[in-house]
Formats: sequence, structure tokens, C-alpha cells
Amino acid sequence: MSSPSSTNYSDEMVPTSQQQQQHPQQVQHHSRHPHASSYLNNITNDSNPQAHKSKTSTTANSIPFQMDNDSDDSDYKDLRNSLISKRRSSSNATINNSTHNQFRNEIQRLNYANSYLLKLPTEVLLQIFHHLERKDLYSLLTVCQEFADLIIEILWFRPNMQNDSSFKKIKSIMELSEAQTHWNYRSFIKRLNLSFMTKLVDDDLLSLFIGCPKLERLTLVNCTKLTHQPITSTLIKCERLQSIDLTGVTDIHDNIILALAENCTRLQGLYAPGCGKVSESAIIKLLKSCPMLKRVKFNNSENITDESILAMYENCKSLVEIDLHTCSNVTDKYLQLIFRYMTQLREFRISCAPKVTDDLFNLLPEDFYLEKLRIIDITNCNAITDKLVEKLVFHAPRIRNVVLSKCMQITDASLRALSQLGRSLHYIHLGHCLLITDFGVASLVRSCHRIQYIDLACCTQLTDWTLVELSNLPKLRRIGLVKCNLISDNGILEFVRRRGEQDCLERVHLSYCSNLTIGPIYLLLKNCPKLTHLSLTGIVAFLRNDITTFCREPPPDFTESQRNSFCVFSGHGVNQLRNFLTESMEENQAHILNHGDMHAIALERRRFLLNGGNIANNNNNNPNNNPDGANVNSDVNNSPNVTNMRADITNANNGQIGIGIGIEGDEMSPGNGGVDVTQWIGERFTLPQGLGGNLGTEDMRGHFQTMIRNHHQSRIRRQQIQQYQMQQLQSQQSQLQMADESQEGGIEPGPQNPEDLSEDSFTPQVQFGQNAPQLFQPAVFRDRFVYNGNGEEEDVDMEQNETQNVNLFPRPPPNGS
Amino acid sequence: MSQPKVIIVSSDDEKFPVELKVAEKSILIKNMVNDLNPDGLEEDFELPTPNVKSTVLAKVLEWCEHHKDSIFPDDDEEDAKKSAPVDEWDKNFLQVDQEMLYEIILAANYLNIRPLLDSGCKIVAEMIRGKSPEELRRTFNIVNDFSPEEEAAIRRENEWAEDR
Repeated sequence: MSSPSSTNYSDEMVPTSQQQQQHPQQVQHHSRHPHASSYLNNITNDSNPQAHKSKTSTTANSIPFQMDNDSDDSDYKDLRNSLISKRRSSSNATINNSTHNQFRNEIQRLNYANSYLLKLPTEVLLQIFHHLERKDLYSLLTVCQEFADLIIEILWFRPNMQNDSSFKKIKSIMELSEAQTHWNYRSFIKRLNLSFMTKLVDDDLLSLFIGCPKLERLTLVNCTKLTHQPITSTLIKCERLQSIDLTGVTDIHDNIILALAENCTRLQGLYAPGCGKVSESAIIKLLKSCPMLKRVKFNNSENITDESILAMYENCKSLVEIDLHTCSNVTDKYLQLIFRYMTQLREFRISCAPKVTDDLFNLLPEDFYLEKLRIIDITNCNAITDKLVEKLVFHAPRIRNVVLSKCMQITDASLRALSQLGRSLHYIHLGHCLLITDFGVASLVRSCHRIQYIDLACCTQLTDWTLVELSNLPKLRRIGLVKCNLISDNGILEFVRRRGEQDCLERVHLSYCSNLTIGPIYLLLKNCPKLTHLSLTGIVAFLRNDITTFCREPPPDFTESQRNSFCVFSGHGVNQLRNFLTESMEENQAHILNHGDMHAIALERRRFLLNGGNIANNNNNNPNNNPDGANVNSDVNNSPNVTNMRADITNANNGQIGIGIGIEGDEMSPGNGGVDVTQWIGERFTLPQGLGGNLGTEDMRGHFQTMIRNHHQSRIRRQQIQQYQMQQLQSQQSQLQMADESQEGGIEPGPQNPEDLSEDSFTPQVQFGQNAPQLFQPAVFRDRFVYNGNGEEEDVDMEQNETQNVNLFPRPPPNGS
Repeated sequence: MSQPKVIIVSSDDEKFPVELKVAEKSILIKNMVNDLNPDGLEEDFELPTPNVKSTVLAKVLEWCEHHKDSIFPDDDEEDAKKSAPVDEWDKNFLQVDQEMLYEIILAANYLNIRPLLDSGCKIVAEMIRGKSPEELRRTFNIVNDFSPEEEAAIRRENEWAEDR
């Protein structure tokens, strides 16, 4: 996945309304998610439901200033107050001499006398209007002038530009001169948000809104066509402007920043992530002119240096949010002052700044607490070590979001420190922290029960044990394990089993966990009804046409090979995938999924066979067939059912019914009798006695390591076999016993090497992924993949991967012989 | 007599003795009682409400009596308040003629009884919803004070507001 410029595996998804995580380079669907896009670059917003909720439920007094996000209620209060005072003052001052107006005054007097509604005080009227939709207000608008004066301001307070039709209508009105309209509508506009129809927003359109004297909030998120002149002109004389969001605007020049400095001295929020062209002197002038600034976002700028930080420190004492992503020249020097003296600071973000070091909190006295700090994001600052994290935890015990991705020196020591945050920690991003291990994750997760968001992308040392630990987080909503390629089906199965049904997970990222197969993912889908995002890019088992048909369109800038391995399900696609897999199971068509060496398929299969679903088994209508497959589970050894079943399987294997059985394999073949299905399942899917939660950590770890080791041993063997087979295929020399019937039946023959066979029967894990027949079925796969025959080690880094084809066989773990 | 009462006096001098708990549904009365009896209510306490007629006050106190044990969401939970449908009992209670409805709303506003005011406003909003301007004028007894040209211009220039 991913666009060429990014290495951030975890951010491949489209944001949802609540989860607004996005990476700057990967804004593919912004037009569908206008809200989310205002949080571009804002890595941490994903996890912060409280903050979002509070925007709509609290008044402006009780919460720090927010950038415009179209929440109605708090806005409405401001408007209400202004309208009440306006109506009060105007009621005494209606001195009009024209006859028409006298006539009108007469009507108004009568109306007052006759209509109870009109007699209500303004604040009550406004409260009534508050319960009405815009179209009802529109009907009221022309009822009488009294109402019109109130309602017109409510309507134009925030012109609705959210759909094509109203956008065009508003545009046509704005094109008229002031004299041609009944009111001067520009004088009513306080909120202007053009980020809903970004394709239609150009310089001409924005120019229509030049001269809105009461403008308070200007939101131009992703209006990429805009250039600096009309933006500058719009700002002239907007002395009430409180916030401007220029996220996604590319042409940010000094003159925009200077216009803000000159006209908008009450500015509280400025998001200008694309300010790379702006000179530092302009930024410093702005910081000096706008002492009320609370939220600033300057990203991707090499011009910003310590001087800007000093200006912030000296002039903007009420800053609550500072975002300096990719401002590589910023150092600790004055940031230390910011942390020491800006006690309001709530959110701090910086990235790619090599001179931000462990000294960041050096000015803080021993007993000093950063009481307001909730979000810290120090991405890709490689000077940072565990020391800084330890200090952070000490000084900011109530921090909620911590992003340390790509800080390569971070080790388990940081995770142990973070574990002291306990319930405070809701959001943790540790992507690309290559040094962390299962032990670190375990200590973190056991103390911080309230983690909702965790990203461990590319932490390649993590194993299934991490999944077991993660399964204990009751509020987990988002999990990122992209490229943790030691993770296996076992881990997912255990994870799903432990989390149980009705899991609250919403977003799961497992791309490039190349060992995974369909079965466990099916169970995951089944148990997570709220799942809205599932990424499985680059996992062979899912790259088949019947599954990718539900997958999202790959981003347009992807190369052919990226497209071919792209496999991300979101929104409805997740449901479709779930339905497809469920149907396949319920209609006993598990053969469709014959990648799935997993419990569910095995059970399903057995039920199918035991239920007399022996379509092809003409010679064996055994009356003893037990209708309930589950009952057979316990005492199945040597019972006639099993024999019967095995016969079925054998028949199936022979291709008589064309079902590629999920659990087929050599132990099922006639020549390899003595291995029982139940035993087989038991060995594979039942954990050792007492493991169901009672096992100590060491035992657990030991157990998983054994499992993993077995798994990898078998994988390596499998890899050798497949390589061998591939060579055979390629050289057109059918030295292998590629049984014809298997080919016809869509079944891959099991391993042919006798040495492997003998070992296989002792290590159940050997079957994992064994039936991956599609590899050898050109119709499904060949054009999507090129087999990487040399079994090269998979590189952790994205850039490398993009130029290669997907590597089907990840490198074995260190302990894997 | 076990509990001292609050005696609320209407504008037309009718006296309504009620339990403190009932009277305190009105934040105005609650504050006045507290301010004037800093040590708590020891004997019956008379309070005039010169803006409220006896017929209206009777209705309002009926509402307070019914809801004396109800717990209402906090004022700052604006969302919950806005979206919640009108309480079924309130709906029936407010099935009165327009004059009485407005009197109750005014009294609730004056006496600062937020939940009653909310219900009243929602009922009025319900009466407005889905009607044309003509129907609204008829419903609320209002005469059009726009010229036809003005009305047409206003409708044209604000047509966008009709879109969802």
C-alpha cells in the first residue's frame, strides 16, 4: 500500500467521522470526508472521542477554542446573544415616514396584538427556531418582517455549501451586487466553509466572499485550486476573524500571513500546514500581532526556526495547540521554555526534527507537572530515547495521546515507563519502533486498560503474544499491526477467541502480515460487528478475485504492482466481505476458501460430512451419522463416524466432488492413516491444558514461542517445497507427483518430500497455509503476482517494497532454526 | 404541620401553598427561597409572582407537582436536550389553546423552569414544522407585511435554504 512518499503503514485508511487520522501525503478521499480532512496531518485525532464530543456539548467558555468544525450549538449561542440585543435596540427605533412604512407599521402593531407567537421574547423565539430545520426556517422567513429579520441572520450565519444545488444557488446570489439583493448577505456571514465542494472552489468563487466584515471563521480545507490573492483579499477588514483553516491549500504566501497580522488581530486559530513558502519574518510578525492565538499549525517548513518558537513564547501566552510537523530546523532551545512556561499547552506535535532531543523537558523543575498536556506527538525525531519518555511520563501523568512512531531508539523501557500512565493513556502510536518486543507491549497493555488506539506497525519483533496481550484491552477500537509479519493465524484465532463476540473493534490493520489466511479473518469479521475498516494488503491468501471484489479502489497514484497487492476494505466493503465469507461457510462452500486451515472451516466441514452431505459418497450412507457435528467432538476416536468421514475426505481428495477440503493433507490420505480429524483439530487449535487464561505469562510466552517456532519451521519447509515445485513447473518437468485429479479438483497436492511428511504428522502447524493452491492456478493468481523465487528476505521498509513485487515468503524469525 | 410550605401568590392574589420540592422546580423561586432563608425554611414562606395569573400558575404548579421527582439532564447537555422528544405526559399537559400555551411558556421563561420551557418550545416548533408561509400566518394569526415583490425576492435569494 501507500503512496510513494510515505512510509507510514498505518495510515492507509480513509478517516471516518470520529476517527480522523490521516497522514499528509495520503489524502485520497477528502472530498467524501470533509470533516476529517480538516485534521490532515493531525495524527492523533483518531483517538480522541471525548474531545470531539465536547465540541458540541459544551459552551465556548468551558473548553479551549476549537477550529471551526460545524458544530451548531455553541455557535448558536453567540448568534442568539447578538440577535437578542439587536432586536431589543431596534424595537424602539423605527421612525419611518414613507406611507408604505406607515402601513407596514400598522400591520405590525396588529400582528403584535393578535399573535401570541410574535409576543414571545426573542430568546424564547430563538429557542423555538433552534428546534427547526433550515427549510422550516425558510418558510417562516416570509411570514412577516419581524421573523425575517431574525431568521435571515440565522440562515446566513453559516451559508450551507454542502451540496451541489445549494452551492450553486448561493453562488448565484453572491454574484449579484449589493443593490440587487434585498439584504446585504455578506454582512450576515460569520462562518464560511468551502471545504465541502472543493472541486468547485476556485479563485473566482472565493472572490465572491470578499467583504464579509463579520467573518469569524474561514475554512478552506483542501481547496487546492485557490491561490493566495483572493485569500488575502478576503481577509481585508475581517477584524473579527477568529480562525482560519488553510489545510490543503498549497499557495500560502507571505501576503496571506501578513494580511492576517494586519487585519485579524483577534485571531485564535491558524492551521497552515502547507506554509513552506512563507518566510520566517512573516510568521514572526503574525505571532507578534495576534496575541490571542491558541492553535497554530505550521508544517513542512524549513523556514521556521527557533526564532519563531521564541516569538510564540514571548507573544502568544495562551497557546493550547502547537503543531510543527516536519519543521526540521526547530530545536529544543526555546521549546524548553514553551514547556516550562506555557501552562495552557494541551497538544504538541513535531516531527522530523533531528535536534529535538532528550533535553526537551530539561527546564522543568522536579515537582513540575504539565497539567494540561494531553497530546504529544514526536514522530521521527531520532535523537529521542527512552530517557525523554521517562521524563514525559513523570511530568505529564495525565497525557492521553502519545505518538512516538519512527523514533528508532525507543525500546521496551519506554513502554514500561508509559505503562505508569495507567488509565490516562488512550492512544499510542509506536509504528516503526523496531526495537520493541512482546515484553514491552505486555507491560504497557496490562497497565493501560483504556487504550483505544494502538499502532505497532512494522514492529517486526512482535509475535502472536502481542495479540494475546492486546485481546485484554476492553475499549480497543483501532489496532495497527501492519507488517508485523511474525503474526500468524494462531495469534488471530486466539485474539478473536479471547475477545469474544460483539467486539468493539472498529479498525484493524493487518497489511503485510503475510502469514495470515482467510479462516481467522472470517472469525474476526464475525466477532467484530462494528468493524468499518480492515486492511489486508499484500497478504497472498486474500488476493483473489472473489475477495478483492469487495475491496476499495486503490489510490490513483499507485503503481501497477501496488494496485495488485492492494486489499483494503472499508465501510460497506467490510460488510460485503463478511457476508461473502459467512455465506460461503453456511452454504457449505468452504472449498471456496480452501486457504483456511482453521477451526471454523474444519468444524463446518465436519458438520457437513457428518450430516450426510456426502454428495459423492455414494457407497456409504451410514445410518450412524450424527447430525450434530459438535457432539462428536469429544469421543470421536475410532468411532464409525470418523472412518466414514475420513472416507468422505478421501473421496473429496480424489476429486470426485470437486471440493478442495480445507483440512486435506497428507495425514488424511489413505496412505497416511492413523491421524484423526479431531485429534488434528485438537492439536492445532486447542491450547495446552489451562492455557485458557490461567497460564502464567512465562508459560504463555513459552507456548507461543513453541507454536511460532513450529509454524516457522514448517513454513520454511513449505517454502522449500514450493520453490521446488515452482522450479519443476517452470522447467515443465513434472517430476513431482502432481496428481491430475488434484489439479482438476483445485487441490494442491501435499508435500511430496517424504522427509517432510514424516515430520508434518508430528507438528500440526505444518499445515498452515499449505493449501495455497491458487499459487499454481494461473487463472486466479498469476497475473497478480510474480513469484519471488529466491525467497529473499522481506525488507521492513516501505520504499523498498514498493518497487518490488510482494514478497510471498517473509523471512523466518531468529529462533526459527 | 410537618413541612413548611412555599406559598406562591399569583398576580391576581390567589395563594398556592406547595411543597418546597415542588416550588424549587422554578430556579427563580429556588434562589429566592434560598437567598431569603439562608438557614433553611422554618415556616411557611410567601412569594409573589406578579407576572403570572392564577389560571396559568395553577397549570405551571400542576406540572411542577407531576415532575417533582423527575431528574432532568443538565443545562449544558445541549445535544441531549435538543434531540430528545417531548415527554409524553408533557405533550398531553400542553394540549391547551394557543393563548394558554404561550402563557405557560412565558411563565416558564420568567420562573426559569427549563424543562417546561423546552417542552413548550418543542410543541411550538412542532406546530411550525412542515407548513407553508400562508399556513403559518393562518396558524399564528399573522398578517403579511411584505409587498409581493419583496416576498418574491426574499424567497428567490434564499432558496438554497430549502435544500437539505
